[in-house]
Amino acid sequence: MVFTVYFCFPSVFVNLEDGLDKMGIPVLLHLGVVLVLSPLLLGIIGKTKACLTGRIGAPLLQPYYDIGKLFRKGNVYSTTTTWIFQAAPIVCLAAVLVSSLLMPLGGLKAPIVFWGDILLFAGLYGLARFAMVLAALDTGSSFEGMGASREATFSCLTEVVLFLDFIILSCVSKKIVLSEMVQGNALTSWHLAGPALILMGVSYFLVLLAENARIPVDDPATHLELTMVHEVMVLDHSGWDLAYILYGSAIKLFVLGSLLVNILIPSYHLSPFMQTMMFSGGMFVLSFGIGVVESCMARLRLNRIPQLLIGAFVLALVGVLVVLLKGA
Amino acid sequence: MTFLLYSLAVLTGAVFLMALTARFRRISGNIFLFSLVMASVLGLFSAISVLVSRAPVDYHLNFRMPLGEFFIGLDSLSAFFLLAITVLFFLAGIYGYAYLKDDHKRNLSVHFVFYHLLFISLILVVAAKNAVVFLMAWEMMTISSYFLITFYHEQKSVRDAGYLYLIAAHAGTFCLWVMFLLMGQHAGSLNFDQMSMSAFPDTLTGLLFVLGVIGFGVKAGFIPLHIWLPHAHPAAPSHVSAVLSGVMIKMGIYGLMRLILIIKIFPEWCAVLLLLIGIISGVGGVLYALGQHEIKKLLAYHSIENIGIIALGMGIGLWGQLYHNEFVALIGYAGALLHVFNHAIFKGLLFLSAGSVIRSTHTGEIDRLGGLLKYLPWTGHLFLIGAISICGLPLFNGFVSEWLVFRALFEGMFHFKMNAIVFSGAGIIALALIGGLAAACFTKAFGAIFLGNSRSIDNSHLKENPWEMCAPMAVLAGICVWVGLFPFTMVSFALGAASSIYPIKTSPIAAGTIISPLLMVVVVLLILIMAIAVLTLLKRISMKFLAIEKSLTWGCGYSHPTNRMQYTASSFADSILRIFRTVMGYSVAKGSSHVVEVCEEFIFRPVFQVIKFLSAKLKIIQCGYTQWYLLYIFVFLLFLLIWKMV
Amino acid sequence: MWLEVVLIIIVFLSVAILGNSRLKTIIQLFALQSVVLSTTPLLIYPSFHAIIIAIVIAILKGVLMPVLLFWAIRHVSIRREVQPLIGYATTLLLGGVLIGVAFLISSKLDLPDKGISNLLVPCAFSVIMIGFLLLVSRFKAITQIIGYLVMENGIFLFALLLLEKTPLLVEMGILLDIFVGVLVMGIVVNHINQEFGSASTINLINLRE
Repeated sequence: MVFTVYFCFPSVFVNLEDGLDKMGIPVLLHLGVVLVLSPLLLGIIGKTKACLTGRIGAPLLQPYYDIGKLFRKGNVYSTTTTWIFQAAPIVCLAAVLVSSLLMPLGGLKAPIVFWGDILLFAGLYGLARFAMVLAALDTGSSFEGMGASREATFSCLTEVVLFLDFIILSCVSKKIVLSEMVQGNALTSWHLAGPALILMGVSYFLVLLAENARIPVDDPATHLELTMVHEVMVLDHSGWDLAYILYGSAIKLFVLGSLLVNILIPSYHLSPFMQTMMFSGGMFVLSFGIGVVESCMARLRLNRIPQLLIGAFVLALVGVLVVLLKGA
Repeated sequence: MTFLLYSLAVLTGAVFLMALTARFRRISGNIFLFSLVMASVLGLFSAISVLVSRAPVDYHLNFRMPLGEFFIGLDSLSAFFLLAITVLFFLAGIYGYAYLKDDHKRNLSVHFVFYHLLFISLILVVAAKNAVVFLMAWEMMTISSYFLITFYHEQKSVRDAGYLYLIAAHAGTFCLWVMFLLMGQHAGSLNFDQMSMSAFPDTLTGLLFVLGVIGFGVKAGFIPLHIWLPHAHPAAPSHVSAVLSGVMIKMGIYGLMRLILIIKIFPEWCAVLLLLIGIISGVGGVLYALGQHEIKKLLAYHSIENIGIIALGMGIGLWGQLYHNEFVALIGYAGALLHVFNHAIFKGLLFLSAGSVIRSTHTGEIDRLGGLLKYLPWTGHLFLIGAISICGLPLFNGFVSEWLVFRALFEGMFHFKMNAIVFSGAGIIALALIGGLAAACFTKAFGAIFLGNSRSIDNSHLKENPWEMCAPMAVLAGICVWVGLFPFTMVSFALGAASSIYPIKTSPIAAGTIISPLLMVVVVLLILIMAIAVLTLLKRISMKFLAIEKSLTWGCGYSHPTNRMQYTASSFADSILRIFRTVMGYSVAKGSSHVVEVCEEFIFRPVFQVIKFLSAKLKIIQCGYTQWYLLYIFVFLLFLLIWKMV
Repeated sequence: MWLEVVLIIIVFLSVAILGNSRLKTIIQLFALQSVVLSTTPLLIYPSFHAIIIAIVIAILKGVLMPVLLFWAIRHVSIRREVQPLIGYATTLLLGGVLIGVAFLISSKLDLPDKGISNLLVPCAFSVIMIGFLLLVSRFKAITQIIGYLVMENGIFLFALLLLEKTPLLVEMGILLDIFVGVLVMGIVVNHINQEFGSASTINLINLRE
């Protein structure tokens, strides 16, 4: 056995140099697509909710205007806070952006693909959440502490359900690479593992709603402390920090939603252009669906949300059992 | 090998010198520091040379000991543990010297003597190639750590913790004696080399494994054998807690790995047992940690959780070994070993910073502190690095070892048969749950101690601790960052040590498939750092043109918000503990929360009550009359004579 | 493949019933489950026999029984369920464990599923077990009736294995039995409410000596 031992900087950077040449352009293209398209999802959701309640509502591009307005505003910082408060939105946005590099978007393949990248995917979201919870505790206010506590509770459960979904996907596709799990041979997978993928889809949809602070887990439009989770954590942020946070949540919805769309739309065998079209259509349908769910339901009581997530856990568990039964 | 012998010689010499100069504080203190530096550097050299060259070395000494000879040696497995031992002892020793420097009432040189004795005993435990040397070093380790723990012996709680530790450790050592004697009797010799060459029958291996799990598990802290840990770690001074939690409990893990190395074939239920212990210890440890109010007890429970993760890695590695799947076995063991090293580093860092906090504020209760980041900047930021590492988040070393264990579990799911798939799946779910709960616990701890405003004590007079205490913590944090961003060295060391447990000939291609994804991980992390830098730069540039104001935190409508209105650590953890309240006996009364330690209350206390009851019954033998005692001796002699005649 | 999708939807709906607390939603979910169940005979053996069973089940279990139960609720004016014996979260987890046990048992049993998918027996067992769990862990009489009906759905799934052999008359007889049973239970719930002022079966313990 011969292992190469990388002790210090130069040898690592030699490998990185030619790596970056191959990867530089796809990485920037991927980031650009994600940055441009993600606030559109929030706009579609808002427009759907407005139409279903009989209003005209804000324009489709409203989130872009919101983020732009926030970029032009100054900040107010509390005297209790430290550098962590200012750094957390940056860490959050950076982690979410980098995680999008691991996710294929329809015809656009993921620039970075390696064995076990789902673990890094989950780890980056964990890092973003850690930073946001610390920033909330930094303000020394009971409001933010409450939101941080609720966020920590729900994220424990969503992480378990997320990993169960990853187990289902990896058992179906026999690989642990994110791109191949969601896109490889999707058409034949539906024939073989349809029921398990349905269960996985439902439980993942519940995780999507929980992670992105959508009804029935959290209400993104309210500002009463009885009902907030994510909104109350960012109560003290303003200006550029709030812009970063808003952008980060839009990109998070886009990336996590694209995983669901990639699985549900079996388009692996088509040309890349058709794949991208079907992907865009799928994202549109997904945001429309989220808007419908938000309009038709009310937010659950706080002590019912863990029960909802445990229900998602049980569904994913049944999915694993189905996959094992089929595979054994 | 000569380096190791020199370091042992230096330490032994220092022990004698310090015992002689016990009355002169400055001289014995200087002897301590000097010998510590020399011995650690020598030990580090020998460990690294063995790990890099991957060739085991050994040494015989021909003086007669009862039942064996003095036979020590280092192979890759021992050298890996020796690396962790020397690094942590060195840094914790320097910290301890500065920590205790202001304490003028106590005799510090005695404490330093026992510190060096513990160092010697740990080196001998990992270097022993003979059951007799192993057990003698084990016993010396127990006794010297007992004296180190009971440093503040005037407090009753410390004395009780010491007693509990001593009893638990000796109960474990009893099982170890039985195990080694059985092994020696079967193999014909007490040397590890000869034992590993003989084949053990199936029933015997099962029994030996159970004895090993109990004996080594008491030291390592597997649930339900862990009850001494949460009492002993808070009672000891902080540098001793760091050493205890960082390397001493890993000696239990080392013992189990040595056992697996010697007896290569086990029945399948042994791997299941290890996996189950890993799952229960991991989840149970972190749940109990969430319910704690005192910082060192919280960190002690987190040690139990990390031992659970290590046991998970060992369990899946053992399963791979039994199925002759080299890949899974190698990665499983390597993940467990790397987590041993990583945990020693970041747990040492966390305990040392907790010690700084306690030294400055004279209290360890989390709910009374707050806002310390501005007054103790070094301590706070280094604690933050330790906290992110222990949660297994990217950029630091915890992520790398958890990645390896996850990988072993996923590969196990693909390649094995049905019941292995179920347990690997359960392991993955448990590891995911542990990660989420650990993140919640450490945001609670860091946020309540260092962020926000102070809840009860007055912070304005606090100053940062001296550089001799901050420097070791900074070195440990630096190692965390190094292994997190450039893990290749430590991963290859861990793979080398793992391949000594399960000797296989892997092709370089297979080795490459382990290292190359890590390379991509490093690339992604560097992109993350670049993204953070770019975003910070953009914000800085724009801030020059926009207005920035400072104000108080919005008080939610109250006109005079006080610091007591902040969220406390107990309230933070309350939501999660409510979900798990049936498992943990969680209750809230009179404004404070309480968690019941299930194993202690429902398993061990009743057993000890029964033993106490039975012993009380036996007390009638001791009646006080010497004539009766003489009669006992006479009757027994008579009995022996009659027995011989019959 | 469609049969497996339908079976999974049935199991999903039973888990949804398990976690729900509003009586109206529980009855609606049960109606949906029965309608979905009625399509299963058509997917296994498309024949005249199967069509009749499908229509009868859809009408009886999907329309008539829910109407009966809605009438029972309106008369006793109860809307929500009280906390079950062990709490919703533990009930859901227990349901998951029971589904796991069901899959384990069915992989060990050797039933002749003759080319129908091998998900049929596990799903049937799971639905029976969840129905039983509903029956045992809830307090309100209406939910217990729903639990019994879900169990009957599961037993019907099991009977699909023998569909070709069972005469039509036996199937109809079973369905009539269930219908009459639910009618009687509805009337009994009404009387319980009149006597005790609430429809919680916990008051029935007053009947013991």
